[in-house]
Amino acid sequence: MVWIFVLFFFFPKFPFIGKYLSLGTEVMIWSLFAVGFNILLGYTGLTSFGHGAYFGIGAYTAGIIFLRVYPGFWVPLLLSIVGGALFAGLVGLIVAKKRGIYFSLLTIAFGQVFYFIAFRWEELTGGETGLSKIDRIPIGIPGLFQVKLSNPINYYYVCWAIFLIATIVVWKIVHSPFGKVIQGIRENEVRTRYLGYNVYFYKWASVTLSGAFAGLAGGLYTFLINSAFATVLDWTQSGNVVMMNLLGGGLVNFFGPILGATIFISSRDLLSAYISRASFALHFEIDWLFIYGLIFVFVILFIPTGILGLISGKKRAVLR
Amino acid sequence: MEEFLGEFSSFVMIGLVNGLIYAVVALGFTLILGVMQVINFTHGVLFAFGAYFAFTAQRYFNLPFWVGLIFAPILVGVLGIILERVAIRKTYGGNPLFGLLLTFGMATALEAVIRMVPIWGKVGYSVKAPEFVAGSIELGFMTYSKYRLFLAALAMLIIFVTWLFLEKTPYGGIIKAGAYDSEMIMALGKNLPRLRMYVFGLGAMLAGVAGVIAAPIYSVKPAMGTDILMPAFLIVVLGGIGSFWGSVIGGLIVGMSKSMIVMVFPRAEDIIPYVIMAFILIFRQRGLMGEKSVLEA
Repeated sequence: MVWIFVLFFFFPKFPFIGKYLSLGTEVMIWSLFAVGFNILLGYTGLTSFGHGAYFGIGAYTAGIIFLRVYPGFWVPLLLSIVGGALFAGLVGLIVAKKRGIYFSLLTIAFGQVFYFIAFRWEELTGGETGLSKIDRIPIGIPGLFQVKLSNPINYYYVCWAIFLIATIVVWKIVHSPFGKVIQGIRENEVRTRYLGYNVYFYKWASVTLSGAFAGLAGGLYTFLINSAFATVLDWTQSGNVVMMNLLGGGLVNFFGPILGATIFISSRDLLSAYISRASFALHFEIDWLFIYGLIFVFVILFIPTGILGLISGKKRAVLR
Repeated sequence: MEEFLGEFSSFVMIGLVNGLIYAVVALGFTLILGVMQVINFTHGVLFAFGAYFAFTAQRYFNLPFWVGLIFAPILVGVLGIILERVAIRKTYGGNPLFGLLLTFGMATALEAVIRMVPIWGKVGYSVKAPEFVAGSIELGFMTYSKYRLFLAALAMLIIFVTWLFLEKTPYGGIIKAGAYDSEMIMALGKNLPRLRMYVFGLGAMLAGVAGVIAAPIYSVKPAMGTDILMPAFLIVVLGGIGSFWGSVIGGLIVGMSKSMIVMVFPRAEDIIPYVIMAFILIFRQRGLMGEKSVLEA
C-alpha cells in the first residue's frame, strides 16, 4: 500500500510526466472515488450504475456552498461529503431492497434525475453554463501559517493527503466486522440474512458510504477545475467509475481501482491526442468515443477480472 | 374554455403518441432483460439505427416510407443478432456487471459510428412522413397532424401483434418459459442459445421499428438513442420488469405525465417521471405490474 502513495508523492518530481500536475491531481481524485465505490461494487457485490450522480452532487454542493454560503475550502468540501451521502442514502432507501440486475436497473433509473435537476434549476446550479469562479482560497491557521491552494503543487499535495486518509478509512471499513458482513452479502445474501444480520441496513450503509466518498471526490474535482457543470452528473461518469474498478482489477484486489483510475484517466488524454493525430493523417475523422467503446468491449470480453486479476491469474472475482 | 380544450387535447395527443413510442421501445428492452437478464444499453442506439436506415432509404434511394418501415427493422434485427452472437452471449449467467458494461461500451461505439458515417454525420435530419398522411386533420375543437394519428395507430398495431406473438403462438410460450426458467427449457430439448439469439433479434427489431415510426416527428440525430433509452429504463422499472402490459402502461404514464406537466410547469418535464417512479416504488416495490421473479430471488 505504502509504495502507491510514495509514487504519488514523488510524481511531481518525475521527469517528463511530472509537469502534468493537474492530470496527476485528477488521477488521485478519481482513484479516491473508485476506491470508495469499490465498497459497494467489489465488497458488497452490488453493481451501481448511478454513482456518477453523487460525484456530481458533491461537485455542485462544493460550488454552491462556496459561492452562496461560505467561501472557504474545508466547509464546502465537508458538505460535499454530506451531500453525496445524503442523496445516496435517500436513493439507497429504495434500491437497497434489491440485488443483482434489479439493483443495477434501479440505480440507472435514479442516476439521471439529478442531471435533469442540475440542468433545469438554473437559479441554483447555473443550468447549462454551470458554476464558475470557484477559487481555491488559502487554507491554514490564521496568523500561524498559510498554504496557498491556488498554486497547483500545493493543491496536489492537499489532494494527496486527503486521498491517503480516505484510502486508509476505506481499508479500515472493509477489514472491519462491517466489511465481513458486506462480503457475506456478496457471497450469499440469503444465508447472511439467516445468520441474523439486517441485510437491508448493511446494503443501504454500503450505498451511502460509497456515495459519501463519491461526494468528496466531486468536491475536490470542483476545486480542481474551479467550476461545476452538469456534465459531471452525466451517466457516462457512472459508467467510467465502474470501468476503472473493473479495468484495474477492483473485483480481485483492494488497490485495483487505483490502478484502473490511473490508466483510465491518463490514457484517455493520451489516446484522444493520438486519435486526433491519426484522424488528421488519414483524412478521416475517427471519433474518439468509438475507440473508447471498443476498449470497454475488449476489457469485458478478454480481461474481465482486470489487470491485477490477469497478473495474479484469477479467473473469478474473489476480493478479501 | 374552447381554447383550453383545444390546447389540452393537443397535449394529450402528444403525450399519447410519445407514450406509445416509449412503450414499443420499452417492450423490446424488457423482453431482452427478462429472457437474457441483460440490461441492454444498445437498445437506444438500435432505435437510432432504425431511424437512420429509414432516413437513408428515403433520402438517398428515394424509396417510399413503407419500404423503410419494413426493411429498416429487419436490418436492425440482424444487427442485434450480430451483436448478440459476437459478444453479448458471452456475458450470460455471470455477474450482471459484465453485460451492462459490455453493452454500454457497444452503445458508445455504435453512436460514434453514426457520427462517423459520412452520409449521416453529426447534424440532425428530418424524415418526411408518407404522402397519404401528410398535413393535418380538422377534428372540430383542434387540428392535428395526420401522421401522428397514423403513428399512434401503427404503434398500437405493433404492440398488439407483439402481444399476439407472445401470448398466442407456441414460440411466445417458449420465450416466456425461457424467462421463467432457462435450465428447464434446455432440459425440455429446446435450443436455448438459438432462442436467446432470436429474442435479441426480436427486441432489436422492436427498437428499430420504433425508430422508423418516430423518425418523422423526432429529429434524426446521433444522440436520439440516448434520449430514448432513459425513458425506457424508467418505464421498465415503474411498469415492472418483464411485464408486457407494465411496459405499455408505463410508457403511456411517462409520455402523458411529461406532456401534461408542460402545461403547468414546463421545467419539470424531465423530472416528473422520476417523481412518479419513486412514488410507485414506495407503494409497489416491483413496479405497477411486476411480480416476484427469478431476477431478484
